[in-house]
Amino acid sequence: MEALVFYIIAFITVVGALGVLLSKNPYRAALFMILAFFGIAGLFVMLHAQFNAMLQVIVYAGAIAVMIMLTMMVMDRRTIEGLKRFNSQWFWPAMLGAGLLADLILLAIKFHINMGNAGKNLAINGSNTQLIGEVLFKHYLLPFEITAIILLVALLGAVVLTKRDIK
Amino acid sequence: MLTQYMVVSALLIAIGATGVMIRRNFMIVLMSLEIMINGAGLLLITMSYYIGNVSGQVMFLFVAAVAASETAVGLAIAVMMYKRKKSVDINDFSILRK
Repeated sequence: MEALVFYIIAFITVVGALGVLLSKNPYRAALFMILAFFGIAGLFVMLHAQFNAMLQVIVYAGAIAVMIMLTMMVMDRRTIEGLKRFNSQWFWPAMLGAGLLADLILLAIKFHINMGNAGKNLAINGSNTQLIGEVLFKHYLLPFEITAIILLVALLGAVVLTKRDIK
Repeated sequence: MLTQYMVVSALLIAIGATGVMIRRNFMIVLMSLEIMINGAGLLLITMSYYIGNVSGQVMFLFVAAVAASETAVGLAIAVMMYKRKKSVDINDFSILRK
């Protein structure tokens, strides 16, 4: 039963990713990207990472996808739809991607770890969020603050880039 | 099941990398980057589940924050490109070669 649900969600996710790669219309590509994000959130729920599934839906499907859609709506529609679909030299990069895929799948098949701990130690008193908070603020406090600084720098960089005068 | 999850993550990373290499539309290149980052995040969460350690889930928090800042700066660059050349075709942006 679990395997069946996994295969359905994995199929939806991969179809969403392929839709981003192959669709001609960039608005449709953004919608396919949202589909892939929701599929990944479903996989997170199956891996007992409920907090990260909510984060995925809020940050990726909610914030990043809306940001990309709004930026595309600022631009002229004919400009971004009128592009040729693929680079004229698409063949060898596509072969490179296929080689990367074959390599990664070979690694995935050859990889073995001790499965004794699968699904354990991911919650205290049944709450995943509480454990993440505890680990985050006990062991990863400095990276957390550096993340905050990175977000601030990105915000300032985006404002400076878009507000600069064009000659 | 570990292998299946890793294969899905490999598919996402390979599809994203191919999209970055063969598409010409800058917005779709950004979306392909997001797909790649999500494939890496799925691998982190899978390993966190099978090893039984919550650190992988915390790493995903950092990955999501860095992806959000990368998208903000990337979209600012896209707006700059559009203002300057009225186009988002990456082949029009080879000014560094001159």
